[in-house]
Parts: sequence; C-alpha cells; structure tokens
Amino acid sequence: MTLLLIVLLPLVGSLVPIASARSGRTTCAWLTAILPAIALGIAAWYTPAVFGGQLPQVSLDWVPALGLDIAFRLDGLSLLFVYLVLGIGLLIILYARYYLSEKDSMSRFYAYLMLFMTAMLGIVTADNLLLMWFFWELTSLSSFLLIGYWSHLSEARKGARMALTVTGAGGLCLLAGILLMGHVVGSYSLTTVLEHRELIQQSSLYQPILLLFLLGAFTKSAQFPFQFWLPHAMAAPTPVSAYLHSATMVKAGVFLLARMYPVLSGTDEWFYIVTLTGLATLLYGAFFALIKQDLKGVLAFSTISHLGLITLLFGFNSKLAAVAGVFHIINHATFKASLFMAAGIVDHECGTRDIRKLNGLWRYMPYTTVLAAVASASMAGVPLLNGFLSKEMFLAQSLEAQMLGGLSWMIPALATLGSVLSVAYSLRFIHDVFFNGEPRDLPKTPHEPPRYMRLPIEILILLCIMVGILPGIMVEPILRAATAAVVPGQAPEIHLALWHGFNLPLMMSAIALSAGVLVYLLRNHIYRFHRQFRAVNARQSFEFSVQRVVRSAQWGLDRFENGSLQRYMFLLLLSAVIVAAFGLMDVPSMAGLKSLQPLDPVVVTGAGILCLAGLGTVMLHRRRLLSLLFLSVVGMFVSLTFARFSAPDLALTQLAVEVVTIILLMLALFFLPQKTPKESSGRRVSRDILLSMIFGGVIASLNYAVLTRPLQSISTYFIENSVPGGGGHNIVNVILVDFRGFDTLGEITVLGIAGIAIYKLLNRLRLFMPSSDMEGRPWSPDRYPVILSSVSQTLLPLALLVSVFIFLRGHNLPGGGFIAGLVAAVVIILVYMSRGVEWTQRRMSFNYQPIAVTGVAIAALTGLGSWVFNKPFLTSSFGHFDIPLIGDIELATAMMFDLGVYLTVVGSTLMILANLGKVTTPHRPSKEKQ
Amino acid sequence: MDHLLVLPIVLPLVAGLATLIRREVGTRYKRSMSVGATALLVVVAALLVYMASDGTIRYYALGGWQPPFGIIMVLDRLSAMMVLLTSVLALFCCIYACAGQDEEGSNFHGLFQLQLMGINGAFMTGDLFNLFVFFEVLLIASYALLMHGGGKARTQSGLHYVALNLAGSSLFLIALGVLYGTLGTLNMADMASRIAGLGTDRTGLVKSAGLLLLTVFTLKSAMLPLYFWLPRAYAAAPAAVAALFAIMTKVGIYAIIRVFSLLFGDRSASLADMAAPWLWWGGLATLALAAIGCLSARDMRTLVSYLILVSVGTLLTAVSLPGNDSMAALLYYMIQTTLVTGGLFLLADIIDDQRGKAGARIVKSRPLRQSSLLGGLFLVGMAGVAGLPPFSGAIGKALILQSAEGSDRLWLWPILLIGGLCTIVAASRAGSTFFWRSHEGEPSGPLMGKRRGLATLALIGAAPLLSILAGPLTHYTQSTAQQLGNPSRYLDAILTPTPINQAMPTPAGEVSP
Amino acid sequence: MLTNAIAISALLFMLAIALNFYRLIIGPSIPDRLAALDTMYVNAIGAIILFGMWLNTTLYFEAALLIAMLGFISTVAVCKYLLRGDIIE
Repeated sequence: MTLLLIVLLPLVGSLVPIASARSGRTTCAWLTAILPAIALGIAAWYTPAVFGGQLPQVSLDWVPALGLDIAFRLDGLSLLFVYLVLGIGLLIILYARYYLSEKDSMSRFYAYLMLFMTAMLGIVTADNLLLMWFFWELTSLSSFLLIGYWSHLSEARKGARMALTVTGAGGLCLLAGILLMGHVVGSYSLTTVLEHRELIQQSSLYQPILLLFLLGAFTKSAQFPFQFWLPHAMAAPTPVSAYLHSATMVKAGVFLLARMYPVLSGTDEWFYIVTLTGLATLLYGAFFALIKQDLKGVLAFSTISHLGLITLLFGFNSKLAAVAGVFHIINHATFKASLFMAAGIVDHECGTRDIRKLNGLWRYMPYTTVLAAVASASMAGVPLLNGFLSKEMFLAQSLEAQMLGGLSWMIPALATLGSVLSVAYSLRFIHDVFFNGEPRDLPKTPHEPPRYMRLPIEILILLCIMVGILPGIMVEPILRAATAAVVPGQAPEIHLALWHGFNLPLMMSAIALSAGVLVYLLRNHIYRFHRQFRAVNARQSFEFSVQRVVRSAQWGLDRFENGSLQRYMFLLLLSAVIVAAFGLMDVPSMAGLKSLQPLDPVVVTGAGILCLAGLGTVMLHRRRLLSLLFLSVVGMFVSLTFARFSAPDLALTQLAVEVVTIILLMLALFFLPQKTPKESSGRRVSRDILLSMIFGGVIASLNYAVLTRPLQSISTYFIENSVPGGGGHNIVNVILVDFRGFDTLGEITVLGIAGIAIYKLLNRLRLFMPSSDMEGRPWSPDRYPVILSSVSQTLLPLALLVSVFIFLRGHNLPGGGFIAGLVAAVVIILVYMSRGVEWTQRRMSFNYQPIAVTGVAIAALTGLGSWVFNKPFLTSSFGHFDIPLIGDIELATAMMFDLGVYLTVVGSTLMILANLGKVTTPHRPSKEKQ
Repeated sequence: MDHLLVLPIVLPLVAGLATLIRREVGTRYKRSMSVGATALLVVVAALLVYMASDGTIRYYALGGWQPPFGIIMVLDRLSAMMVLLTSVLALFCCIYACAGQDEEGSNFHGLFQLQLMGINGAFMTGDLFNLFVFFEVLLIASYALLMHGGGKARTQSGLHYVALNLAGSSLFLIALGVLYGTLGTLNMADMASRIAGLGTDRTGLVKSAGLLLLTVFTLKSAMLPLYFWLPRAYAAAPAAVAALFAIMTKVGIYAIIRVFSLLFGDRSASLADMAAPWLWWGGLATLALAAIGCLSARDMRTLVSYLILVSVGTLLTAVSLPGNDSMAALLYYMIQTTLVTGGLFLLADIIDDQRGKAGARIVKSRPLRQSSLLGGLFLVGMAGVAGLPPFSGAIGKALILQSAEGSDRLWLWPILLIGGLCTIVAASRAGSTFFWRSHEGEPSGPLMGKRRGLATLALIGAAPLLSILAGPLTHYTQSTAQQLGNPSRYLDAILTPTPINQAMPTPAGEVSP
Repeated sequence: MLTNAIAISALLFMLAIALNFYRLIIGPSIPDRLAALDTMYVNAIGAIILFGMWLNTTLYFEAALLIAMLGFISTVAVCKYLLRGDIIE
C-alpha cells in the first residue's frame, strides 16, 4: 500500500500550494516540496528490493466492468522514471521559486506542476494499461495548463492548445490500442499483458495495436511528423520547459516504447516504423537546432533530435540497443534539464533569448557559463561526461542494424551525421551565447543569478560528470534493474566503461566531434542555404487550419440547419414515410379477413365533401380566412362521421373542439397578414405534394390493413365491467374517468399547462394591429352590435344549463366533463365577443388560472382520497343514495373527478381565448374615440 | 401497498398545483415549495432505487384496475435509476433558478414541477398510451419553460421546437392506433406477449407501427435528421431550463430502450432487433454531425447544445449494439453525461453574466470576475464530456468502446474518438478565449452567488464523483442491463398475478377478470 | 314507409349540403361563403336528427342541439371578424 503513496502524495501535494498561497513565496515553495520529497524517500526505500529483483505491486478494484483497477507496480523501469520525475521535479520547484516574478501566481504554478508530476508518476508506475491511459491524458491536460500559464501571451495560449490537441489525439489512439490489446489478452493488467507476447504478436490485431500505440508514443514524444507542437510549447515559463522536455512529458512517449518493448518489439513492422521515424526525427531536430535563433528553440529542437535518437535505439530490436535507449533517457534528462535551466537564467537575467543579441556573457556570468558549457559538452558527447557513454553505445548499435539489407550502411552513416550536427549545435549554444564578442542591446544588464537558482544546475552537472567518469557505480545498478523490465529473459551483458579500446564507434565519435566543429565554423553557409526556404510557422498554420475547420464547419452547418421549419418538417415526414413503408412491405396482403360495410349515397357524398374541403383548405392556404372556412367544413364532417359511425361522444367533443379552434384561429388571424405571398418554388411545391401523397397513401394503407383485420382487444373487459366496476353506462366516459382516469389526469394537466403557457407567452406581447380588413375597408365602427349582445346574453343561461345537463348525464349517456366544459367556455367567449373584455370582466371578476388549477387539483385530490381508504391512487367508488325530493340517485367519486375535468376545461379554454382577446384591448380604435 | 411507486408523479403534480393555484403568492413560498418538493422527490427516488435494486419488478395498478386492463406504473432498476437521475438534476436546476431566474416570467416553479411530473411519468409508466400522455405533459411544460423570460430567440426556436414535436406526437398517435388495432391492448407487457404470438399477416403492421414509434422516439432524442429542434432551442432556453432539458433527450432514449427491449426483444422473432440498423447509422451520423457542430459553435450555449447531441449520438449508437455490456455501458454514460452537460448549461449562464455584452459568445471580452473558479469548473466539465480522464466521461466512453465487437469497431471507434477530439479542440478554443484571452481592465459583473455556485458545482462535480463511484454504479447498470436483457421476467411480473399484487384491494364492485 | 321517407330526406339533405358546399367554393364574396357555411350547419342538424330517427334513438338530439348552438357561435365569430377584425375587444 505504501506504493500508492508515491502517486497519492504529489496529488495531495497539488493542494498544498493553494492552501499555503498566503504564507509567502519561499514558504510556499518549501511546503510544496515536502510531499514529493517524502515520495522520493519512499521510492528510495523500495530501491533495494527492486534491485534485488522483487516487484512491489498493489492492486485495488475500481471499475471491474471496465477492467480498470487501481494497480501500481514498481519495477526497475518505473523506479528509474520515478527518480527522474521526482528528483528533477524537486529541483524545478526550487528553481521556479526564483524564476517566477512577483506578478506570477506561485501557488497556481505549483499546483499545476504537482498535478503534472502526479500524472507522470501515474504513467510510469501504473500496472493497468487503462489506468496508465488515465494518467497519460492527465499529463496532456496538466501540460495544457502549464504551457498556457502565461495566459496573457497569445503564443502561450496557442502553444498550449496545439500541444493539447496533438497529444490528446495521440492519447485517443493509445486508448484504442489499449482496448484492442485488452480484447486480445483479455485483461488490461500490465503484468498479464507482458506475459502474452506471442498471443499479441500472432493476433490479427497486432498491426492495428502496434500502430495505435506508436501513434500515442510518437505524438507525445514529438516524433516526426508530430514534432511541430513541441517548439511552440516553449512559450511556457522555462521551469516548465525544463521539466516537460527533459524528464517528463516527452519522455512519456519513449517510456511507452520501453514499457511495451517486451510485447510489441521484435517484428519487422516495429523495426521499420520505429527506426525510420526515429532516424527522421533525429536528423530533422538536429538540423533545425542548428538554425534556430531562439535559445529555447535550439534546445527544443535538440530535444526532438535526442528523442529521435532514443526512439531509433528502441527500434533496433536488439537488447543492447534498448539498454542504450534507457541509458540515454537518463543522460538526456540530466543534461537537458540543466541546459534549460541555464537558458532560463540567461533569459531571466538578460531579458531576451535571441542568440543574435546574446554574446560574450561569460564576462557577466562566468559561473553559469561553466555549468552550461559542461552540460553542452555532455549533449555533444564529449568524453568523461555521461552523454559520451550513451552516444558511444548508440553508434555501436547503429553498426549492428542489418534490416535494411544493402542499405544498412546508411544507418551508422546517418547516425554519425546526427552526432555531427549535435556537436555543432552544442558548440553554437555555448560559443554564440557566452563568448563571441559583446552582447548587443540587451534589455537588462546581465549578472549571476541568485545562489539557489543555480543550485539545481550544479546538482545535475555533478551527476553528469560522475556518471560520465564512474558509470559502473553511479548508474549500472539502476540500469540493470530497468533493463530487466524492458528486456525480460536473459539480461544482456551490460558493460559500462569509459574505455572500450580503439574501435569503430570511437572513430565515429571522433569524426563527430571534429566534423561538428567544422560544421559550426561553416554555419553561415547553412543559414544562407536555409534562408531560401520560406519559414513555416507551425503555430500559425495550426491556428490557420483550426480556423479553417471551424469556418467550414460553420459554413456547412449554417446551410444544413438553415432555420427553415419546412425543411425540418419535410425530413421528419420523409423519415416517417420511409420507416412506415418499410414495415408495410412485409404485409402479405392489404385486405384482411373482415368484409367491408356496404356503401350508401349519404356516406359517399359526405366523404366526397370531406375530401374536397380538405383539399380546399390546403389549396386556399394563402387566403387564410377562406382556408379557415373550409377547415370548419372539415371539422363538421369529421364530427358527422363520428355520429354516423356510432360515436356520439366523439362527435360532440369534436364539434366543441372545432368551434374553440375556429375562434382561436380567428383571434390569431387578426395579427397575421391576410394573404401570404407565394414563397415556395414550383419544384418545392411538387416535392411537397409528392411527399404528402405518399404519406397519405401509406397512412391510408395502414388504416385499411388494420381495419380489415379482426381484433381481439381488451375493450370487451371495459364493456363488461363498465356498470359493475365503474358504475356508469357510458363506457367511453367510464374509461375516461375511471379505467384510464390517470390518462385523463395527465391530459387535463396538459390543458392546464397550455393555458398557463399561453398566458406566459402573451404576458408581454405587443403586436402590430391592422387598421383595415383584407380588401382595404376600414373596420366597422360598431363594436358591440345590439342584436348580438342581447341574443348572446339570452343564450348564456340556456347554454350553461345545457352544459350542466351534459355534464351530469355524462356517466351514463353521451357527454361528460370535457364536452360540458367546452360548451360553457364557448358560451362565455360569446359574451366576450358581444360585450367586450371590460364589460365581461366587470361582471366576472375572477382569474381563470385558479379555476383551471383547481380543476386539476380536484381530480388529483379525488385520486389521493383513495389513499385514505388504503386503495390505489384514483380508485373509484360509487353508490346509490335516496335523496328527498329527487329520489334515488347514483353518485360516484368519478363524478368528482369529472368535475375536475370540467373546471380545468372551462378555466384553461377561457384563459387561452380571453387572454388572446385581451392582447388588443387597450389600443383599439373604437367608436368612442372617433 | 406501496404508494411510493406513484409518488414521483403525484408529488410534483401536487407541488405544482399548490404553487400555481394563486398567481400572486410570494416568491419565498413558491421557492421553498418547489425546492422542498424536489428534495423530497430525490428521497423518494433514492428509496425507489433501493427497492428496485433487489431485482424484483413491482407495479402499481392505478385505480386498482389490474393489468393488462388498467394503467400501471412499473418499478424496475431502469425506471428507478432514471427517476433518481431526473430528480437529482432537477434539484440543482431548481436551486439555480431560485437565484433569480424564476422571477423573469410567471409561474416558473409550477411549470417546473409539472415538467418533472411528465418526465417521471414517462419513466415509470408501463402503458404505451400513458407514455404518450406523459410525453404530451412534458412537451407542453417544456415549451412553456422554454418561453420563460420571453425574447425573440426563444419565441423563434420555441416555434420550431413545438411544431416538430407536435408533428411527432401525431405520428405517435398513428403508431398507437395501428398497434392497438392489431394487438388490441395498450399495456406494454401485454403487447409484448401478444407480439410473441403474432400471425404473419400482422407482423408487417406491427413492424410499421414499431418503426413509426422509433421515428417519434428518435425525434425526441434528437437523432439526425430529426434533431433540428434542439440546438437553437437549448441555446436560447433559460439556463435552469436548458440544464433540466439535458434529461429530455434521454427520455427519448429511455423510450427506445424500454419499448424495443420489451416489445421487440428476442421473443418477437422476426421483429427482433429491427431498430438496430436505423439506430446504428443514425447514431453514428448524429455523432459526426454533432462533432462538426461543436467546432462550429459561436457561443458556449450552442457548444453545450451540440455536446448534448454528441451524447445522444453516442447513446443511440450504443443502444443498437447487441449484448448486455453495451447496455450497461450506455446507462453509465447516460447518467454522467446528463448531469455534466446540465452543469455546463448553468456554467454558461454564469460566464455570460460576468462577461457583460460579450455574453457567452466565444470572443475576446473583459476578464471574468471569478476566473479561476469558473475556469476550473469549465475545465472539469468539458474534460468530463469530452471523455478525458480522470473524469466519468472517459470511463463511460471506454465502456462503450469496449462493448463494440468485431467490425462494429471500424465505424464506432474512429467516429467516437474523433468526435472526442473535436470536442477537445472546440472546448480548448472556447476556454482559452473565456479565461485567458481578455481585454485589460477590471472585471465587473455579478458574482455567481451561493445558490448558483452550489448548483453548478454539484452538477459539474458529478464528473469526478461519478468517476470515483464508477465501480458500484457500473455494477448497478450491469444488473439493470441484465434485467432489460431478460424481458420475460418483466412479463411474468406483470401478467401473472403474484401474492403481493393480489394483496392490493380491488375497487368497489370490481369483478375480477 | 318511414324508412323510405327517411332515406329520401337524407338524400335531399346531402344534396343540400353539397349545394351549400358548392356555394362555399364559388363565393364570390366572403359573406356569401359565410352564409353557405351557416346553412350547411343547419342542414347538418337536419341530417343528424334524421339519423337519430332512423336509429330510433334520442341520443343524437343533443348533438343536434350542440351543433345548433356552437354553429351559431362560430358564425358569430366569423361575422365579428369581418366587421371588426378583432373578435374579442
């Protein structure tokens, strides 16, 4: 369990700087450093065990369904990286304390840094591939924050986004690779995966797995052609660059290569892809490192180049090469971190990183000059320094690679070329910056940095020298342990020594050193050669392509979602027709077993008029009033049809709804243009006609097929139980208020909400009102014609009586709350029409919303009432009562429910119509005013 | 007798009516009523989940009319889970609205409660016609809420919203008519058992109606080419409403899962899996389109709307995958994406508030008042929906990717992963503009305050929280998937009366069938 | 006898309705069409009562009553619209 702490402590540590933000910068730095230091101590405590060949592991269940466990391991490779990540991390904390200026938020920086550290530690110690991916993506996220730390700088923002995009994309490839690998192996546990080399390599999925893993590794390690994000990540503060691009972020990619080396390597695919990518990256990086004028740019490209070198080593498919790769990871981390920090000091003290301006700094900062020179020498591969050792191993291994057949000689040759360039840019880094004349117009006068800012570099340089001189003592144990994890089985003979005798690699080193000096001397020719190419700024082209993608997405989407309801509706209907027709094709014959009813002339005439009226409504839709008249014919005939085919309840409902609809449309029509212009092109009209014909045809076929098939339905139960169970003879009504009363409760809620919604909609509405009718005649000045007013007033009590009558008999004969409510509402609307809002409201001074809501509430309370009797919601009860004067009468709780329906309908309908009517009231021209 | 099963519908109904009955009651009363009822609903839903987790399928016969004749509410793992998800989301939306948004128009809380009633009813009902009724309730209530506060953008997008959805309702009715006309029943369990023994002369009709239902449900869940009502409406809606709407598309997806696993499951012979190809291609196309939409978004609300579409595409595609694993995966994904996208809508509103004229548009403007806090929330929320670890979205996506087999991967993986990348690009573009790229000058604008802060934090906090709790959650969704994969248990529970159900007293005078 | 009488009257009512509809189509003025529609309501009432007589039931008389009442109201609404544009003011 202690193993968990290595990852957990830095995670908790990311909260420390936030908590200690107020306690001063130095304290904050010290407090931040405590937890990673403890973690480092824990790692050291494990070291003897790991060197002894043990494998400390810990595993906790997290998401068993996914195969994701909280599992960590600490093998040699993990231990090596833990040392690098924590060790250099601690130095960075110290360095950053002096690097960051007063303006920069220290706690934020440290919090991000610790988060990033956690993610890195997670990657290197995870024993579950999915868990590793979790941390992998977390490095992308936290590096996004770190690179964008100086968020006021445009290049920082863009660099951060670019890094996130590229490494994020790589991370997604890695996820796919991991999932495929899990599919092949049957587990994501690294321990299990590492045991199944054959299974993986013989699987048909090996190639996709390899490709996806490599894409993940290459994007992270900035391998060609994904190298472009790295130089722009230099917009980050230098401590970040020193950390991310020496020991961590980019090393995660090569770590992945090393991690997966036991299972993925050894095939031709591995060799060709990894070697060629590595080689290309090595040379590309080296060349541009020589050309860049920005101090950190030089280091960035040299990092790319060295990462290429490490990748190349892993690609060789030889155990010793892999050892050299791991060794170079260590060496590169030490010298590159110190170089970045030195560059940071120069930048910090001189205010610029432009090599053309920086010259002869040794006079101002001799101490730093020495440190930087040693680090550069290590990078160049000068003997007695650690860089020399791994470079020698690299050159020796390049001689061994034979896979390219007759062209195999090219590998050592190009490797040497890479080394030559490496020497040249190392020399340039030192000579151009610290020597070579006098500095030119620096923003600040340079001087030595604070003591503690230099300390981290000193420690690293010390390591470089000690490893370089005494490799056997300094690194051999850990290298052995790490190698055991990378190349399982028989460990290769590792023999680290300064002197191997005169051999070819030594010759190549010598050539590299001397030719490197030559190249440096001839550098102006190279600059001139390079100048004829147009400079490509990856950041600009990235930004440009993102912009272009965004703009074309906008262009395309604006055309697709063009805001036309017609198009959307067309697609909806088209989809419906297609799927419905799809099912209809499986119907063997349209006509079922039931015979058709005989036709009579009355029905034929009615049907004819119904069709014609429907057509008329559509054809005259541009003359709205006419269309409305035809619509009311349609409504009338639909209700006549209901009446003819024995559904009096439906007929009554349809009639009432019809009138309400007509009045509603009339109210709306007032605000609309009387005639709509012809908007649709002929082509669209014919398209729409075609679609509606097909739609109608499909629905008609469905109807026909359904109606001609005999049916066994639950309705028999309703018919049998209506009187004994529901206490009513009108089955339709009993279904509505009892059998399916819950549906009705829902529907009256809908009605209530509709009323409230329309009130909401009209609340603040101000509309344009036409002052004349469609033929341009002014409106009649007579607001309330006398005959109409008197007739409607006479009608009111009678109609209300009808309404009550229809309501009361509803349980046994056609009628019920819904119809009765509509009748009452319509009659009251008649009064509104004939007398106006003001007159009516003076006499009926209540709000309609409470009526509608009370209606729903009564229905709901009737339902709740059954709980008192320990019955389910909405259980009805009925009984016969003998009331004096009236006699025997049947009362049912369903009547209460129906009363709720009645009130809701009255309330909502009036809320809708009266509110719509009121929109105009205060503004109308009227007789009084004229 | 467990009245608990009907409480998710009755409780919001009563609370809604109590706030609506008088228009001029005090704000305090309305708010405490609404928040109290929603909090109680969370408790009820949690109890329901607890009840359902023993694997028993229970039902509640409304009015005492036993199935298949009466309407029933059915409690199984899925419905319990959906109700809990809804109530948790709703609670925080409601708290957010109490910070002032509820007073921008009339009757907010009442409508909000009725909307909850509709959503919960749709999740609980075991009757297809009743499902239609609740679809209507939630549609009309959502339309009213969409209009809350008024304004041109809302009115315009609201028209498209309501017109398309009403057309969908008509299709629903046509499908219901055909189904009732061929099967003669409305109870879903009964329908399923009748479909299992269906003659060949009727299969085509049922298929037609089933696919029409699919059209309606995919319209509700916003699948390409039926999604058009969504982006503008969601972007225009008031934040608390838009956040609640995160669950609305999931109602459609729930309906697909429920109806197609039950009615057209393995028992339905030739009709089995008839929805799969439509959902597969439609889902993938939606995913691709939504990714483009994310890139094209000009403001954060639209961005989040398209993120909802991304989740819809993912879910629909996953629904079409065979097997219980994909079902378990998509249920987990659904929980987390609903909460986090809801939270992002709230966050967009706060950002809008603090940026003055620029609002939520992705353009340079003055700095935010609470830049680091909001930035952190933005990062977590966006990483959560984009599927970046360590947040829940990553687990959800990985589960779905994992459940795809064989050649299905070739389509699903690239589209889902590239969709994720598009989200990352779009979100990093928006985020760096909001939080990093600002004019000089002092930040002004209102602080987010306690209520809004709590709501946003809680919903976006789901991203890490659900990731930590992924173990137990996926356990629950796995058993849910198993329950769904075995519809005969559902049929048995509803169509064969068990002692528990018989214990329910029959209404007065009822003759037992 | 009565059956025949009902059949013949039904045919005549349908003829009347068809003629109303014809008038509704040709217009020419809106009031013409409105009058046609109103007459159509009247004829529909007749047809429904006839249908009730044929079935020997009183169930349909309420339907007739409602058509009479509601048809009147919708005609009033259209008239009001023609006169004032705004039907509720």
